[in-house]
This record gives sequence, C-alpha cells and structure tokens, in this order.
Amino acid sequence: MHEFALVRSLLSQVAQIVEADGGGSVQEIRVRCGPLAGVEPTLMREAFALLRRDSAFVEAELVIREEPLRARCRRCDQTFEPQRFRFRCPHCGSVDTITESGDAVMIESVVVGG
Amino acid sequence: MTSNETRVITIERDVTATARMDAARFRETMTARGTLVVNLLSSPGSGKTTLLAETARFWGDQIRCGVLVGDIATDRDAQRLAPWLPAIQLTTGGACHLSLALVQQGWQQWEELPLDILFIENVGNLVCPSSHDLGEHVRVVLLATTEGDDKPAKYPKAFRTSDGLLITKTDLLPYLPFDVDVAAQDAREIRPDIEVIALSALQGQGLAQWCQFLQEQRRRHVGRRPANESADSTVNR
Ligand SMILES: Nc1nc2c(ncn2[C@@H]2O[C@H](COP(=O)(O)OP(=O)(O)OP(=O)(O)O)[C@@H](O)[C@H]2O)c(=O)[nH]1
Ligand SMILES: [Mg+2]
Ligand SMILES: [Zn+2]
Repeated sequence: MHEFALVRSLLSQVAQIVEADGGGSVQEIRVRCGPLAGVEPTLMREAFALLRRDSAFVEAELVIREEPLRARCRRCDQTFEPQRFRFRCPHCGSVDTITESGDAVMIESVVVGG
Repeated sequence: MTSNETRVITIERDVTATARMDAARFRETMTARGTLVVNLLSSPGSGKTTLLAETARFWGDQIRCGVLVGDIATDRDAQRLAPWLPAIQLTTGGACHLSLALVQQGWQQWEELPLDILFIENVGNLVCPSSHDLGEHVRVVLLATTEGDDKPAKYPKAFRTSDGLLITKTDLLPYLPFDVDVAAQDAREIRPDIEVIALSALQGQGLAQWCQFLQEQRRRHVGRRPANESADSTVNR
C-alpha cells in the first residue's frame, strides 16, 4: 500500500520535468510497470484520482501499460519471460540471469498542451 | 505563442530513480565508516527481534551491533532489544514499511557510535518493504517454519531482492508439514544465488552459520574486519 507515496513522487517529478521543458498543461502521463514492480495498477489509479484534484494535474489522465517480466541469460545471452517468477534460463539452464524489465515503474512520457 | 498544440516529452525514467540514488549515497557513507548495513524483512512474527537479540548475545562485545527497529506503533521491540544491543525505535505512524528518510533520522542519533553492523528490522510485511532500498548492503528475508514452505513464489519480490534467506524456528519442524529443501529450492528458482540458512534462535542451531555469513558479507562489502575480531572468533562460542 505505498502507491500513494509513489504517485505523489511521480507527480512532483512530472511537474519538474514539464516546468524545465517550458511548461504547459499536462494532458496525459504515460507509465509502464511489470509484475515485479511492487505496485498494483488499480491502486495507482485510485491514488492518482485522489491526488490530482489538488495539483496542477486536474486535466491529466494517467495511462498505465502493463509489461511482462523479461530476463536475460548471462551465459547464452538470450532473453526470456520468466514463468511464475522462475529465473532459470529456459534455453541453457543457467541460473546466472538478470532482470531486464518488469521490475520497476517507468515514467515513459508526458503529453503537454500548449 | 503556440496554443492548441500538444507536444510529447519523452522521459524513460524509473520513478524511484532519485530514491535509489539517495539510498546509494547512504550506502557509500556507511561503507566509508566501516559499517555493514543489513535490512531484515519478513511477515509479522517470523522472529526478527528474537534473532537480533540472540545474534548480539552470541557475539558479546566482539562485534559492535546496533539496530534501528521499525514498527507501525509502539516501541516494544526496541524495549526487548535494549538489554542486548543499542536499539532505536522508528515508528512509521501507520506506514507499512520503513523509508530511507526514517532510517537516516534514526541514524543521526548515532553518528558518533562506532558500529561494525547496523541492523534495520523492517516492519513485519512481506510486500511493501521489498520495494524500498534503505541503503543496505545486504537484504535478508526470514521465513518461519510456521508460515509454510510455499511462500517464496507467493511473495516473489521479497525473495528476488534478498541476498539471504533465513528459515527460522526450525525447532518446530517435528510438528509442522514444512520441508526446508522445498522452501530453499523455491527461493533459489526466484533468486538463484540466495544464501539459505536454517536456524532456531530459541535453541541456537544455525546461529553460528548466520553470524559467519554476516562476517563474510562485512568483509565483502565493507572490506574490513571488525576491530575486536580475532582470527577464530566466530567458532566455538
Ligand atoms: N519456537 C520458536 N519460536 C520463536 C523462535 N524465534 C522467535 N520465536 C517466537 O516467535 C514469536 C515472534 O517473534 P519475534 O521475534 O517477535 O518476531 P518479529 O519478526 O520480530 O515480529 P514483528 O516485529 O512483530 O514482525 C515470539 O513469540 C518468539 O518467542 C524460534 O527460533 N523458535
Ligand atoms: Mg520485531
Ligand atoms: Zn541461457
């Protein structure tokens, strides 16, 4: 249940970025997150609905795109989607694998009106 | 003036990027001070406080430990720990996890205290704490035998982000359908290089192995031996 703090941080980062880019009214905030991001998209939407009221984002929509978990094998260099969070490489059986995506909330872009 | 026109600003940034950088900075400060920071997470009641008291008792004054202990309310854990090691209670006021800001506030009270290991006992919760880097060098998750051996895959993030797994309360194994190998295997599918130690804080099995793990981590991350440690100090206590 830390979605509130996360969305608050998201809004303040977006505000700074838009300001530095010349300002304008934010129409859309696009983010993506995966199964190991540690957030529930539904709760993020609820938090956003509450938080945007008292912010410069009254007009804004939050668009959340869910992405799958992706890992890369350091032995055979192939990528794969871990099933049920199993990180063993399905190509060569190695356990030396790293998460490439799906473990974070990424701010992709912001749509700003003139 | 360009009105009515919209533009897209591409960002591509992890929303926690700044928080991660702050945590990394705290970690570097602690490395420079020679203090290993260990973040303990588990569901409520898995045995974090009991383990910390027993760890401090095991080492005596050989290794200087301190603990910042998080709870939603009350200072009960700090009171329990006080006879064994310096302890500061951090109360989150309802929040389900400790934040770096809270940890740093607590740590400020100790800036002058030379510590070999700073433990952070997180709020009992297997979900939210796993998303928060507290500037620790080592993250350890506790799983009590009473919780069931199927938990790793149910709370993947806690296990994926941990360097060590402690299977606690092994003295209860005779009474429970808990298979240590199943739990360890499940955890290793999620985090292949996780170090698994089974222990009973109450009866002492596995405690020496846990303390040795901490010493190894200290050498690895902080690169020094504790001032009071003698060559064979971890064995036969
Ligand atoms: N049988 C047995 N009981 C234990 C062991 N370690 C802890 N306990 C008991 O488990 C209960 C919870 O232990 P705590 O140390 O308070 O657990 P905790 O993880 O700090 O709990 P919270 O901080 O509330 O999340 C207590 O009643 C302990 O006495 C153990 O090794 N064996
Ligand atoms: Mg406790
Ligand atoms: Zn491979």
